[in-house]
Amino acid sequence: MSAPVSPSLVAPAPSAAAEATPYDFERPGLALRVRRVPGLPLVSVRAMLAGGARRERVPGQAYLTGRMLSEGTRRRSWDRLALDTEARGMLMSASAGFEVLGAALDALSDDWAAALEWTAELLFEPSFDEERCTWVRRQIAAELDSAGDQPEVRAGWAFMEQLYAPHPRGRRLQGSQDTLLTLAPGDCAAFHRESMGRRRIVTVTGDIDEAAVRRLAEHLFAPEEGLPQPAAEALPAPAAAEARRELRLPGSHQAHLYMGHLTVDRRHPDFPALELAGVILGAGSGFTGRIPNRIREREGLAYHSFVQAVTGAGMDRGRLVAYVGTSPATADQAERAVREELSRLLEEGVTEEELTDARSFLLGREPFYRETARQWADLLANAEFYGLPLESLEQRRMDIEAVDRERLLEAARRHLKPDELRVTLGLPEEGSAEEGAAEEGAADG
Amino acid sequence: MTAPVAASGDAALEPGNFAAAGPLSVPRLPGEVRITRLANGLTLCHLENRLAPVVTCALTYRVGCRDEAPGQGGIAHFLEHMMFKGAKTYGPGEIDRRTQALGGVNNAFTSHDLTTYYFNFAPDRWSEALAIEADRMADLALDPVEVDAERQVILEELSMYLSDPWDVLNQDVRDELFGPHPYGRRVLGPREDLLATGSEELAAFHRRYYNPANAVLVVAGDVGEEVAEQVAEHFGALPGHELPPRPEGAPRPGPRGLRRVERRHGEVARLMLALPAPAATHPDHAPLMLLESLLVSGRASRLTRRLVEEEQLCSWLTADLSENRDPGLFSVVAELVPGADPARVEAEIFDELKRLETTPPDAEEMARARRIAVADWIFGHEQVYRQAVRLGFAVALFDPEHSQRQLARLLATEAEQVPDLAARYLSPETDSVVGWSLPVEEAGAGSCGTGDEADSETDDEGGAA
Repeated sequence: MSAPVSPSLVAPAPSAAAEATPYDFERPGLALRVRRVPGLPLVSVRAMLAGGARRERVPGQAYLTGRMLSEGTRRRSWDRLALDTEARGMLMSASAGFEVLGAALDALSDDWAAALEWTAELLFEPSFDEERCTWVRRQIAAELDSAGDQPEVRAGWAFMEQLYAPHPRGRRLQGSQDTLLTLAPGDCAAFHRESMGRRRIVTVTGDIDEAAVRRLAEHLFAPEEGLPQPAAEALPAPAAAEARRELRLPGSHQAHLYMGHLTVDRRHPDFPALELAGVILGAGSGFTGRIPNRIREREGLAYHSFVQAVTGAGMDRGRLVAYVGTSPATADQAERAVREELSRLLEEGVTEEELTDARSFLLGREPFYRETARQWADLLANAEFYGLPLESLEQRRMDIEAVDRERLLEAARRHLKPDELRVTLGLPEEGSAEEGAAEEGAADG
Repeated sequence: MTAPVAASGDAALEPGNFAAAGPLSVPRLPGEVRITRLANGLTLCHLENRLAPVVTCALTYRVGCRDEAPGQGGIAHFLEHMMFKGAKTYGPGEIDRRTQALGGVNNAFTSHDLTTYYFNFAPDRWSEALAIEADRMADLALDPVEVDAERQVILEELSMYLSDPWDVLNQDVRDELFGPHPYGRRVLGPREDLLATGSEELAAFHRRYYNPANAVLVVAGDVGEEVAEQVAEHFGALPGHELPPRPEGAPRPGPRGLRRVERRHGEVARLMLALPAPAATHPDHAPLMLLESLLVSGRASRLTRRLVEEEQLCSWLTADLSENRDPGLFSVVAELVPGADPARVEAEIFDELKRLETTPPDAEEMARARRIAVADWIFGHEQVYRQAVRLGFAVALFDPEHSQRQLARLLATEAEQVPDLAARYLSPETDSVVGWSLPVEEAGAGSCGTGDEADSETDDEGGAA
């Protein structure tokens, strides 16, 4: 179904020892992307500073700092901000991830100038008010408790720690109840100050006049002279020392099985090949992937099962992850199926039909990531941050079509290791009604 | 892009900084909607929207778990699963394989009133969705081996929902609020009914409800008038039979005062307050949407400001007015921060609902709620997929203008109407269910509201933005 591969579009194959080219994600300066997206009368603004949770001193510091950006500025209190933005029907948010912190505003396009000015105010003039900081800290702690009430989330946290610790990716973005207690407004101000010395990325998209937007954005977001760039300290390497973890999950009616290991970062030359391998294993449409197809469609073990080969890949390495939510009685069978399917791919490779379909799947989804102003704003921000032409459909097609069966198999053999799989298995509490009910359910099948 | 509102609501958008926000009007979807009906009764809605190279094909059947017979709970949802398990042309797993090969996505969902299937494809290949839908509408296989395997998958789905504190609380509250009305049913059905449902029952359900006259097909996106011909080619020969009008659900008993349900789960206290609400066709439904906005839309809204931002009792709080064929529910849901007193939270929510009766919104508050409603409407219709599903929902249950008409009615609602609406619909003491899911460690501390007690893997996916 996919178009024939034009030789001129095929990128050279990465060598066996292929590694990502060194790239300074955090270098200072302003990167501004503006794009007109015709359609509904909307504008989306994204403004972010490089250096999220991977640069924090205390777990949760970056996330708290990000959330505090919408809790008041030197000019306006939190409620004045809320009243002003909501009076115009704007959606305002601020947060942080592992790599950036920032603010976002979505607005009706008539309000584009206010949206730009107010986003700049959020990003550059936070007040870090003490009373609001105390509240947001409590709020985050409550959100952690709430997420922890979801058994699959709790199992997922254990899996991330198993894979990444002591690297910051191994811990929760929000920190922990204990670390949150130690954070004060001064910690937020310090982290924000430090982040101001790193790269700032601004994207503005929607039903807008590009030139007018660019003029105003350059004025509002230009870096001040003399901002010191913080040193990029080396992070502890992931250890992944523990091969297997089992934990008990109060309230769970299922076993939650996570299996995987680290793979490659976002700029690695093998990224597209592993994306395709992930689709063939289980990241594609419905339950076509080898693993969900076997686990759900053929063996009826699970409602929810997925596989990704490069999930979470960014500045740091992403991961292979296979998830199955199943009965405790069939968790072993599910684990065996994942191992066998992974080994089979490495031994037998993939068929031409599978590869063609996987290419078509990845390329077919691209227009759906470019439909709205909000999607374009996020896409351009990612493209700029990672230094990759993610906005170019043509480049995407070249990258995907350059992967043939041999290249996919080579990449899979380099990066997918059944013998190195780490396993986290979350089970209902021992002797609980849930465990009994789940086992009974499996017997009926 | 927009059409002026005929009603008088805009006059409130004048003072202060609201003037800068400009006039308010009901937006229109980009593109043009054409609605036709085939001889066999299939309703075709073609929404031509050329802004992005995408097409959504969404087929909605007027059947949901409200239509299930006693002992067949969950059959509507079970059949939805089986629609992916093989028909005459597309065998088991083939629909997903073709979808992937064509670079698309598909899914389906079952509600109390409707069942919807959709495909998202590029414009040069979308029409295979028609072939798939016609095949499984006409010739679904329902192989007993596949039925048995899928039943096990659904039992696992049921286990998954039973682990989720919100899903369980929601079901407990619905049971109590709706009683014998089908809106109290669990969409997945009870385990014993699933075990008793086989190929024959599924086939009978399919024969009865899955026919062109009971379906609405929406094709939306970058596709022109050739749609009509393609749809006729795939569906025109299928026989249709009109179903008798759907019966109303069992009438709701009169006001029964405030009832309580309570359960224990996890570490967080969760509240769901449910009040009876009118059907989406009722003249009060859209005005109640405005009250919902006044209460919870934005941080400056009444309930959010008081319980989250100022009193700091809840980590978050929201409300929802269901959009059903029969009378539904108005719900307020909240998660409490550790240490917050559930009885106090409940009392403050009740007080804030009462305050709508005693302190109507001023002009600024009304303008803000209206502006947010318009923005929400636009943000909710940005994607062709959403436009298609919303249009299918409206046509299958109401009429094509439903969504815009509701927004126009909301904008036309005046502040003076708010106290009366609040008194009639938002008085928990008259008729409501208060559901609490309380932390396990607090077991034995007494029940709530009596006045005497108190990226993980889900974290950060999706890159830097």
